[in-house]
Amino acid sequence: MIKKIYLLGNPNVGKSVVFSRLTGVQVVSSNYPGTTVGIDSGYLTLKDGRIEVVDLPGTYSLEPSSKAEEVAVSLLKEHPKNEMVVINIVDSTNLERNLLLTIQLIEEGFPVVMCLNMSDEAAHKGVKVDPVKLSGILHIPVVPTCAITGVGIKSLIEKISDAAQISRKKLSNQERWVEIGNIVESVQTLEHRHHTLRELLEDASVRPISGLLMAGAVIYSAFKLVRFLGESIINNITDPIFIDLYRPFLEKLTEYWQEKGFWFHLLIGDLINGKIDFKQSLGVLTTAPYIEFGMVLPYIISFYLILSLLEDIGYLPRLAVLLDNVLHRLGLHGYAIIPMLLGFGCNVPGILSTRVLESKRERFIASTLISIGVPCVPLQAMIFGLLGMFGGIYVAGVYLVLFSIILILGIILNSAIPGYSPEFLLEIPPYRFPPILVLVKKLYYRVKGFLIEAVPVVLVGVMVINILIYFKLFDYITGFFAPIVHNLFGLPKDAIAALVIGFLRKDVAVGMLMPLGLSAKQLFISAVLLAISFPCVATFFIIWKELGLKSLLKSTAIMIGISIIVGSLLNLLIW
Amino acid sequence: MKSDHKGKIIEVLGGSNLETKLESMGLYKGKEITKLSHIGLRGPVVIKAGRSILALGHGVAAKVIVSSE
Repeated sequence: MIKKIYLLGNPNVGKSVVFSRLTGVQVVSSNYPGTTVGIDSGYLTLKDGRIEVVDLPGTYSLEPSSKAEEVAVSLLKEHPKNEMVVINIVDSTNLERNLLLTIQLIEEGFPVVMCLNMSDEAAHKGVKVDPVKLSGILHIPVVPTCAITGVGIKSLIEKISDAAQISRKKLSNQERWVEIGNIVESVQTLEHRHHTLRELLEDASVRPISGLLMAGAVIYSAFKLVRFLGESIINNITDPIFIDLYRPFLEKLTEYWQEKGFWFHLLIGDLINGKIDFKQSLGVLTTAPYIEFGMVLPYIISFYLILSLLEDIGYLPRLAVLLDNVLHRLGLHGYAIIPMLLGFGCNVPGILSTRVLESKRERFIASTLISIGVPCVPLQAMIFGLLGMFGGIYVAGVYLVLFSIILILGIILNSAIPGYSPEFLLEIPPYRFPPILVLVKKLYYRVKGFLIEAVPVVLVGVMVINILIYFKLFDYITGFFAPIVHNLFGLPKDAIAALVIGFLRKDVAVGMLMPLGLSAKQLFISAVLLAISFPCVATFFIIWKELGLKSLLKSTAIMIGISIIVGSLLNLLIW
Repeated sequence: MKSDHKGKIIEVLGGSNLETKLESMGLYKGKEITKLSHIGLRGPVVIKAGRSILALGHGVAAKVIVSSE
């Protein structure tokens, strides 16, 4: 009786795509090893009833070498073997490397069904694998599939109940490779194909000079595209909706509002020159939705569109190769670039994905650097919206300061924390071109995730802030911190409330700065401080959960120290 | 070993841990590999082994002893 189905395979063979196909649960899949660092589960209905399907992080062998692999292997061993089936997902274009895990699984006595995935790509590359022969040699069911289009998934489901435990002599790795060589020899036929343009590009992107040129071009155009798309959405879609449709509606509403008391203050906020100003009124119905939908959401859409594209094409591991020597100086290795890039979307998934790094030391350094030096999209969007009016130089300045902090802090942490930076070892996937539909689905999934998490917090946050302001409760906090903020950072005492709210959500905090009429310098310092001081509460908890209380406290102490030093320095240096 | 040259892995130095890890990724003794490139300033070495392209950090690459053809 099957009670559980596990999906296991080498990194980047498409386990998450198969998982989505089997269960209908949408999970993020990309073209690089290590997309899945946690466990996703869903249900598949078979004739025996509903069975739980678990998508495990990728692993090369049953002897784990990273946190994510450890998670996969330990979960697999938790359940009685006769009550489960392992669907071993295999990359048909690279059968040889994948078979080691398959053989280990069979030797350990797991009932295995092999899913020969990416069969379309294999055919395209001139690789033919005979599933019937392979099944005959290994004595397990083998099903060719192309999960991204859904081909073969139905027969995969039918074969699940055919899986059985078989006994097989345990071999050493060396012996396994010899056997794998023989198996591949007899089931795989290769057709010679000429080098394609794609292969030329793949090659050029990991050579030193051409690679760095390509990396510069890709990063620059990605950044420009994110800004261009974000601004286009704001100018052509969201701003017209807010200003031409929503504001007249609210103004009609306020006409009937004779007494401008507590509720007016809470919902609409302050009128600026007798009118509602979405950036400054600070009401639950005015500024709160404008921040989320009018300023942040457009950039969430453009950022994740570009990031998803880079992920699915398979460019990111190449960037990791090129940046390895720089990141090595920071106590990390090249692959840490992926958690960092994800952190630009939101620090939480960034810190979660540090699980692909091997040691706790690396995870601590990476998480601290992300929470201090990597601004999330909501914060960046607000910085564009706020500092952008003083000129691009200020926006670029914020990035320059943050980038320098990452470098300097990384070098300090690397020399201060005992231990060494582990070595980089990474498989580089081929370039792939994702179907538009797959890209759109992934974008939809990420944007939805953002809305579910952000919108309630922002609405409640703005409400709480308004209550605090209305009853003048902020005065207690501001009175306490005023000397530090005023003397060291040169900020007015009203900015303190915003910095405190930064702990809740960065975008709301910048929203609170908007009505204060700060100078360019003050805004610049506040923006930097908001980025580097306490991460928002969600990031705070994820560091706690992932790395423990002690690391969280250490990380927090570093943040406070850096904020004071950088804030004071900037105040002294800029005129 | 120079870029675009082929060779066979003879030995992996530096303990059985690294050896097992490389083995599980398909870099076992006797495997034929092609070096594709090397990023300067102690950067990684990119190689092709079978149908996989792998990047090895400088320290790892230094421990993989290859007989060049």
